[in-house]
Amino acid sequence: MPTNPITANRRHYEDLAIGEVIDLGQVTVSKEMIISFASEFDPFPFHLDEAAAKASLLGGLAASGWQTAGLSLRMLADSFLATIASMGGLGFSDLKWKKPVMVGDSIGGTVTISALRRSHGHPERGIVTLDFDIRNQKSEPVMSMRLANLIELRDPLVPLVEAAE
Amino acid sequence: MTRWFEDIVVDEAFPLGSHTFTAEEIIRFGKLYDPQYFHTDPEAAKHSHFGGLIASGWHTVSVGHRKMVDALFAEEERLRALGKEPGVSGPSPGVNGMNFKAPVRPGDTVTYTLTVTGKRPSNSIPGWGLLFNQLNAVNQHGALVYHAELVGFSKLRDYRMPIRLRVLQALTRLPGLGKLLQPSR
Repeated sequence: MPTNPITANRRHYEDLAIGEVIDLGQVTVSKEMIISFASEFDPFPFHLDEAAAKASLLGGLAASGWQTAGLSLRMLADSFLATIASMGGLGFSDLKWKKPVMVGDSIGGTVTISALRRSHGHPERGIVTLDFDIRNQKSEPVMSMRLANLIELRDPLVPLVEAAE
Repeated sequence: MTRWFEDIVVDEAFPLGSHTFTAEEIIRFGKLYDPQYFHTDPEAAKHSHFGGLIASGWHTVSVGHRKMVDALFAEEERLRALGKEPGVSGPSPGVNGMNFKAPVRPGDTVTYTLTVTGKRPSNSIPGWGLLFNQLNAVNQHGALVYHAELVGFSKLRDYRMPIRLRVLQALTRLPGLGKLLQPSR
């Protein structure tokens, strides 16, 4: 049934279950990574310069929140999105930066499938809701968010029945 | 923007400028932060429902953030040139919502606009205010690429610290005692 040769052998909508927990592994954030991202996308002094960072609300050189989000997504792509018939993200909500990610911090954590539903407009698509719980090496929460991602159905001809919540 | 909290006008739109996305930068960002085949491999991407390579939503959002930072710096310079002291903006506590609407393909030009839709003094950080911002990104055909509901910090100009906080701050400057009073990290 699947017509996309790139994703044919990957997990599809039907293969996912609410409650599945994805382990993201870990990434250590170096000063070079922070400055490289900040130079291109977030050139505030508190992401580029140690002295300016010490004087800011962050209290030291810290990664751009968008880099923390990007690295979290990278971990999800490696551990999950590249293994499913992903059709891209729809967006996200309730992104909270809870604690700055400082030079040398290791971040990782889990993503949990919190909802699954079929698209009403496109019978060949499902929507998987993914809750991020990103923590540093001290297990302190650094970021959370809820991402909505599209995924191919293996069999779009199965009638759309709303699952009981 | 780089204005004091008190000077920020709600519902004023700030044009942030445009960015044209190349295939090279789409792939470079994709490989670093969002390695899915439709962001990194133009040939494989033809099999996706997008029909070709598209930028990661996180890439278009990161560029939008850069546009906002550039606009803040430009506003700071403009105010300094007028002999005024610019305000101070701080790190963001989060994003309430982000909706990716239309894909961004190589060669697309995206235009960004920021609107402050609300503001209030922060409850958790004295002397700072919270700004509620909307960011819209539109492509060269006028289609909405993404819509974001952002939250940011801006410093209050007219803030006078309550006496108990001023006493506490003075005490933390005393050697030894300061260490005891600092919240543990």
